[in-house]
Order: sequence, then C-alpha cells, then structure tokens
Amino acid sequence: MSKERFYNIIRGPAITEKGTLVSEKNQIVFNVASRATKPQIKAAVEGLFGVKVKAVNTLIRKGKSRRFRGIPTILSDVKKAYVTLEEGHRLDVTTGL
Amino acid sequence: MQVTEVVSDGLKREFKVVVNAAQLDRDLDTKLKELAGRANIRGFRPGKVPVPHLRRVYGKSVMADVVQQAIDDTSKKVVEERSLKPAYQPEVKLPEDRAEVEKIMEGKGDLAYSLSFEIIPDFDIQDFSGIELSRHVVAVEDSHVEEALDRLAAQSRGFTAREEGKGAETGDRLTISFVGRIDGEVFENGTASDVPLVLGSGQFLPGFEDQLVGAKAGDDVLVKVTFPETYGVAELAGKPAEFEVKVSAVEVPEQQSVEETAARLGFENGEKLKEALKSRIGEEFASMSNMKLKRDVLDALDKAYNFELPSKLVEAEFAGIWRELANEMARSGKSFADEGTTEEEAQKEYRAIAERRVRLGLVLGTLGERENIQVTDQEMQKALLDRASQFPGQGKQVIDFYRKNPRALVELRGPIFEQKVVDFIVSKAKVTEKPVTREELQALVKDEEEDFHYGHDHEHDHDHDHHHHHDHDHHGHDHDHGHDHDHHHDEGEHRT
Repeated sequence: MSKERFYNIIRGPAITEKGTLVSEKNQIVFNVASRATKPQIKAAVEGLFGVKVKAVNTLIRKGKSRRFRGIPTILSDVKKAYVTLEEGHRLDVTTGL
Repeated sequence: MQVTEVVSDGLKREFKVVVNAAQLDRDLDTKLKELAGRANIRGFRPGKVPVPHLRRVYGKSVMADVVQQAIDDTSKKVVEERSLKPAYQPEVKLPEDRAEVEKIMEGKGDLAYSLSFEIIPDFDIQDFSGIELSRHVVAVEDSHVEEALDRLAAQSRGFTAREEGKGAETGDRLTISFVGRIDGEVFENGTASDVPLVLGSGQFLPGFEDQLVGAKAGDDVLVKVTFPETYGVAELAGKPAEFEVKVSAVEVPEQQSVEETAARLGFENGEKLKEALKSRIGEEFASMSNMKLKRDVLDALDKAYNFELPSKLVEAEFAGIWRELANEMARSGKSFADEGTTEEEAQKEYRAIAERRVRLGLVLGTLGERENIQVTDQEMQKALLDRASQFPGQGKQVIDFYRKNPRALVELRGPIFEQKVVDFIVSKAKVTEKPVTREELQALVKDEEEDFHYGHDHEHDHDHDHHHHHDHDHHGHDHDHGHDHDHHHDEGEHRT
C-alpha cells in the first residue's frame, strides 16, 4: 500500500487527556477512517512510523446530536484506534506527524 | 550563575555570565507548571494538561521566554551587585553558534553570554556656589518704547489719497500694476496687478521703489532694475530687468498720535499702551538675559568638568547630529565645500558638540539627582499647554498626541528639568547684575550662538529638537541666517 493510502486510514493523533495518559502504557490513540479495519490500521502505523504494532483496539464514538438554528443535526461518528506498540518501540506523535 | 569580569578598562565593562542548564531547567518547569494551571487546550479540560505534554509541545517557545528572563535578571543582578551605573542599556551578546543556541533551548547547554556596557563616569560634583555669574540687565528706556510705538503705528495706520497732481514721496503707499521683462521677455512671477507698495519699505528689489518717487496717480513709469546676485531664484539673479509700472493710486500715511494708535489697538489711552509696551519689552530683555545666563552656566559647567565620556553615548549623539546634518545638506543641496569646510573638519566640530552635550547632560542629570530636583506634574501640564498654544487651532490634537506618547512627554520633560537645574545653580551662585545696553546684550547673545552649540538634554535619545538647532548653527559663519533660526528655536525650547 502507498503512503497516501495510509494517510487516508489514519486521520491524525487524538491528543487528549486520555491520549497522553495511555501513552505511558506505550499506547497511541489515533482518529481513523470509520471504514478502516484493525489490520489496515496496523499496516498503516507500521508503514508510516516504522514501528512494530502489538495490538489495535478500536471504538466508534457515535456522533453527538446538535441543534443548528433550531434544526436537530447529528454530527458524524468518529472511529478511534488504540494502538499498542511492541516492547522497545516508541512513538511520539504529540508534536505533529 | 557565574560571573567573570572580562574587561574593565576606563569606563568600559564587560562580563561573562554563565547560567547553568539545571537552573534554566528549573525555571522552565516552574513556568510550565504555572502555565498548566490555566492552559486551555482542545482535548483537555481547562487546567488539566499534563506538564510533560506541555513541555513537549511548547517547551521551546517557553524556553525562549525563560532564557530572556534569565538574561534580564542576571544582567540586572550583575549591575546591582557591583553597584555600577551603566550609561545605557547594557548590551547582551549571545553565542552565535546555532547549535549552541539550540542546545540551550533544549535545556541541555549552559547559557553563556557576555554583557558589555559603559558606566557613567564617576565625577565629583563641584561646589558651584563659588561660580560668579553676571546677569546682564537692560533698563527699558523711553527710546525703546518710542521705537516700538512707531512700529506699531506704522502697522496700524491708515492712508488717505494724496492731493491731485502731486508726486509720491517716500513713505507713501502706491497701488501699482506691473509687467516685468528681461530682454523683452516676460518672466515668471514678474507680473502683478493692484499691489499695495509702501515706498521705502524695501519690499521690492533694491532701486525699484526709489524710481517710483515722484510718480502721480495714473502715471506709467518704466523701472529698470538689476536683480541682485544673491537673488533667491537662480535664473534671475544678476539679470537686468525692466518693469512697466502703472500707478493707479498714491496715498499719504495719516499722521497718527499715540492716542489714536492706542484707540485703534483697543487700549484705553496712550499711557496704557506705553505701559503695556514697556512691560513687554522688559520681558523680552529678561528672557534674552536669562538665555545668556543659562549659557554662561552651561559654559562654566563645561569648563569645570572634564572626565572621560562613555563613547557609545557620544557616538549616538554624534550620529544623530550627523544624520540630521546630512539630511539638511541634501535638502539644501549644499556641500561641505560650500560651507568653507571639509567633511573631516565638520566631523571633528560636531564630535566636539556631541561630547559637550553628553557631558553637560551627565552633569546636569547627576546634579539634579543629587539635589533632588523634580519636575512636577503641574510644570508638565504648563509645558504641555505652552506647546499646544504653539499650534493654534490644533491644541487638542497636540495634547492628545502627548497623552498617547509617553516618550514624547519625556522629551518635553527634558528641557524643564534642565532649566530647573540651571535655575538651581543660579540660585546658589553669586550673581552680579551688570547693566548693559540693548545692543550689547543682543551682540552677546548673537556671539554665543556663533561660537558655541547648545542644547543637551539628558535624555540622550531625544534629539529632534536639538538637531534642528544645530543645523543652523552650522551656518554660524553667516550671522543672520544662523541667528534667526536659533533664536526661534531657543524660544520654543526654553519657554518653560
């Protein structure tokens, strides 16, 4: 797969309180494309950052409902991936990809 | 923090200051922690951003602040610990090597920089109570009043038509129209119609008015004059010209008594007018003699003190003068050769001026500090109003300008402070009154303007007023020119 494809899968790092918290367990949180599968995410992270991935856990955070000018709207869903790296591999994405 | 003195030569001081990395790191940490308490970053609840995260993301920019802060603090401390008085803001030189700077920013390298400055020369304030000064006093004489009265009368007097058929005499007012020609060609600005001209007033070219004496209303006169060599318009200078003049009216000045003049000017009677004139002339004399006195004081100070000057200050002052001078010369299209001097000579001359200014600035500043001379708000207010009144109709803008520009206010403060210190010295000095005539006083003031160069504030970065002054001093060799401008300038500055 080309790098371009990888970037289509991984939208960016989720720099949040929880994101920084789990980084101590050698895990990194990414926002990923909602159609992306775990193997795809694993391949993308390994391909982009040159690290070995031990496991990928994903979740879909459902879109929140908002009212825009009184009309109820539903925001799009977000898929996140908790990527655990193999021992000895480190990755710091907080300062940008 | 380790400090080593590298240079201590005359007034120059240079220190090498090293702040170690651990110290910087600690400072960075405190700063980050402080920041973490209120940082509001997306993805984090306010104040919940972990410090390590902040450090990774913002470490560098915060470090720059920390380094800046460290430099400020330490340089201040260096100066304070040794109780030195820098003459200007110390110069900080950081390592030029990029890699080294990078290392400091990452908190790995020690921050080492050099601090160089010159100290204010240490000099003893001499006892100036022994200074002997003379105040030149001019008594207002009747003749001065008469003179002023005549001038006033001339300005305000009326004219009546001269009897039919009689020729004009000097002092008469003619109404003329003329066409000027050079070699038969009409030249620019040489034509006018219905211009009032008082014979003998010297308004027109030399010889022009003389040839109109004896002209009657309705006469046509051909006036032949030659433009003087020094005429302002180069193409016309030195050329002979002919003017076809048509005299349309000849009027005689009305004889006016003192009473009439007074009435015309809105005074109750002649006596009142005379009194007003007298007090005004008195004030003029007083301000002239004050100016002279101030100069004497400054001269005396300049002579009394001779100490090494911080070269940077002199340099800055000189650069200011020089720049202004260069501008002036570019504007007037003059070269040094025109002024009968060479560039080097002029440089030398102006360097001396710069030194004098710096020296006097330092002396006055120190003196003022020691004697605790302060410029009160009231005085500032007054100076502000004075300044505003110099621009009629724009007073409000002027005041606003000063309100908004504290720097400009400082400029305003300089001369007041200076004046107060001088006043103080005068009050302590032995002042003898010395009666002189008006002509003598005028000559004295004029002399001074030629020989010496004044203006020195102790805000050294405040120049524009002064340079103005100096430009014209440059023409000091030619009396009138220099005098006019300087005089004007001085009035403006010392009206405090």
